[in-house]
Amino acid sequence: MAIATKLKILESSIRLFNENGLANVRLQQIADETGISVGNLAYHFKNKDAIVSFVYESLFDELGAILSGYMGNPEFTDFDQQIGQYFSFFHKYHFYLIDLFEIDRSFPEIRTQWQNHVTKMHLQIRSRIDFYQQKGLLVTEPHEGIFDLLTNNLWMSIVFWIPQQVLKGQMVAPHYFKEAVWSQLLPYLTPKGLDAYFTLIHPILRDLDNN
Amino acid sequence: MLPNFNLDAPLYQRVLQGLNSLHFTDHVGAGCDLDFIKADYWLADSAVIDRLVLRKGSWDINLLFAHHTTPLRFLSRRITSHSCPKRAAMMAGFMRRLAAKDQRGTLRLSLEHLDFNCN
Repeated sequence: MAIATKLKILESSIRLFNENGLANVRLQQIADETGISVGNLAYHFKNKDAIVSFVYESLFDELGAILSGYMGNPEFTDFDQQIGQYFSFFHKYHFYLIDLFEIDRSFPEIRTQWQNHVTKMHLQIRSRIDFYQQKGLLVTEPHEGIFDLLTNNLWMSIVFWIPQQVLKGQMVAPHYFKEAVWSQLLPYLTPKGLDAYFTLIHPILRDLDNN
Repeated sequence: MLPNFNLDAPLYQRVLQGLNSLHFTDHVGAGCDLDFIKADYWLADSAVIDRLVLRKGSWDINLLFAHHTTPLRFLSRRITSHSCPKRAAMMAGFMRRLAAKDQRGTLRLSLEHLDFNCN
């Protein structure tokens, strides 16, 4: 019962943080959203910092699960699946960007964990590029450092695509997100890579678009 | 509270390279990879006896497998050894009963099957 209440508090907190930003949410709002009293909320979480830590613990668990799904299979579909998971994750926790600097100031241990996960994301993307190149799906690096820049661009697309769509007032949808990521890899695909893309990935994006 | 376990960047990179290389070292198996099952299948139709041999101060347990219709097809395999002969005999009996298809020992080899030509 206590676990169910804690999970409800977690979901309410994420919803409120997304709507209003971390700093603007009060305990009373979280309690009202969850449908419990502030006293009951205090029984589960001593203060707001404890709720924030719990939310970020859940966030890092989910991000860790996405990272641990690296290279389940050697095809493009593995990367596509991971991109889809990243979209769901960053959509669910889109307060992360609103509160990036607030977290940096007030919760240094959370900042460290963010940096660790971000480093892993970066390394995974770079490792994928190397793998696809070895498999003959990607061209040889045209110039030294190009694939490092590509890695950084892919990472930025994944992490900041949703906020830039919101800023432009455009639709946030998974197939636009995937297209934005894949479009950066397309110029570097070999004929074999293009064949794999149009066979495996393009139908998925088309189906998402139709739905 | 213990700090979270974390791999540093160079080590994590090596882990990723290892995961990548799995897809180059593992290949789909060929039919001939399972030939060992067919090659050893005759052992399922074999009569088994145990044999104790004193070697270098310990008693070796050997199992002798002979096909019950073609007894010239046989093999002897050393399983293990014991210092005590009684223990070795007891273990040999257990192993023989475990290995033999015919647990009650009703299968018999016939001398007629051993088609020796003594000329």
